[in-house]
Amino acid sequence: MLERLTAWPKGIQSATIVAVMLFVGYLDYITGPHISMSAFYLLPLTLAAWSISLRFALFIAAACVALWMGGNTINGDVDFLSVPLALWNGGVQLVSFVVLAITVSRLSALQRELESRVRDRTAALERTQHDLLRIGEREQRRIGQDLHDGLCQHLAGTAYTCQALQEELAQRGIPEAKNAQHVVDLIKEGIALSRESAKGLDPVELNAEGLMQALDESASATSKLFRVSCRFECDSPVHIHEGAVAAHLFRIAQEAVRNAINHGHASDILVALRIEEEGLELLVEDNGAGIANARPSGRGMGLVIMPRRAAIIGASFEITRQQGGGTRVRCFLPTGRIAKGSEYEQQAI
Amino acid sequence: MSNKPSKVFLVEDHPLFRQGLAILIGRHPEFRICGEAEGAAEALAAMTELKPDAAIIDLSLKSGSGIELIQHMKTRLPQTAVVVLSMHDERHHAERSIRAGALGYVMKSESPTAVIEALRKVLAGKPYLSEQMRAVAVERFLNGAAPATLPQDVLSNRELEVFALLGRGYETRRVAETLGLNIKTVQTFCAKIKDKLHLANASELAREAVRWQESGWAI
Repeated sequence: MLERLTAWPKGIQSATIVAVMLFVGYLDYITGPHISMSAFYLLPLTLAAWSISLRFALFIAAACVALWMGGNTINGDVDFLSVPLALWNGGVQLVSFVVLAITVSRLSALQRELESRVRDRTAALERTQHDLLRIGEREQRRIGQDLHDGLCQHLAGTAYTCQALQEELAQRGIPEAKNAQHVVDLIKEGIALSRESAKGLDPVELNAEGLMQALDESASATSKLFRVSCRFECDSPVHIHEGAVAAHLFRIAQEAVRNAINHGHASDILVALRIEEEGLELLVEDNGAGIANARPSGRGMGLVIMPRRAAIIGASFEITRQQGGGTRVRCFLPTGRIAKGSEYEQQAI
Repeated sequence: MSNKPSKVFLVEDHPLFRQGLAILIGRHPEFRICGEAEGAAEALAAMTELKPDAAIIDLSLKSGSGIELIQHMKTRLPQTAVVVLSMHDERHHAERSIRAGALGYVMKSESPTAVIEALRKVLAGKPYLSEQMRAVAVERFLNGAAPATLPQDVLSNRELEVFALLGRGYETRRVAETLGLNIKTVQTFCAKIKDKLHLANASELAREAVRWQESGWAI
């Protein structure tokens, strides 16, 4: 009730408090001096201190005491002899009202400050999570690129040098040539492993068609690996010119597909990328068990992170249970966010 | 094969890899490394001077792009056979490199002997692709270039217009804007084109459109 009242405009709140006070004063007057109504004055007083201000509460405290004493006087309870007594009682009442007003007002301020702090901290926490995800993704891509452009090249150079050694040994008829060949093969395996890691860290290649290619490859890899039908549907070319946008969209699709298999036990998954009038739509639909509810539950961080990723790139995100069963994940990136930027033009090979 | 070794030029920005490559090629007396470069402009200038018989070019260079270098070489050094040697996936880059003017594509993750084999092939004027890539190329050829599926024979005029714009590298939204159509209509056209030309996905559609554009059929 207090919350509903505090949502009203201050003027209406104050008027209501005064009205309540006058009503209590009237009750006090008609019930006469023998029935004490002083506790009822606490209602307008508390409301004033909680939701308006200490000054207004002090005014209400004084007004309540005046009403109480006035009522008693009109009722003839006070005569000349008992004036000091009445003043004493009024004073005591006033002091207790003032103490209450101050206490409630402080409590109210404290509550407001706490609420505001919680709001600030929550916003800061969300920003941090946002940053962590953004930075994490950027760092992953950087490490992936470093692996691809640094370690893989280094290993390939080593393999070529070793191949030259093998040929040299073979030419001289030295039997250890086969050992050298074995080393070349081991290095080749090393290159394959590093390329795989690089691909996991930075799955979307740096070109405008990278997202289409990555989703297509990932769908066929999923089909083979998990023996399910995972199709990628994209009727007309979708070009994404911003690496981070492509990477987050890819990770959202990847997470949705992973959930479909691990939690939904789906056998048929569709990943679709479509250009609409207002933007770009990424859909992942499956025929699995369907999501229990559309809120994050004990099913890991994926359901929390997908909408965060969408938020980072300025896309909307929804996850729903399909009518015929199964889950539908939809991410929509409005036109303005499909950057026409030149990240690829600068970095493309 | 003549006794005179073939002049080979290396364009590669990773020093250790370049070194390994030079050692390996240097072991084969039929080849002689005539020069090395790390960037595209530097390479083009040196090669114009040295006129190598073959060049081994990486796609990612210190400065400039390997693809652009190959395109320049096509007009300025037509006698130099180009082998692309790259860490990038051949499924996405081999065709692009060949279209730009390269005769061979070797992935750095392949066996080092592949590059020697590729050099021999391209110096004999023959193309070189890995076995997997040859299979992909044949499949694409069968799907895309069969006489019954020539775009100009099977597509309607409006579909051809969409296809031609895709061939210029336009994406869906830009095609829609250019032709004054809405996006849904363009998507329907794209789906029909894909069906008629037996293309698996939008990437293939884009690639096929570019190829058609470059073949000179497009309006």
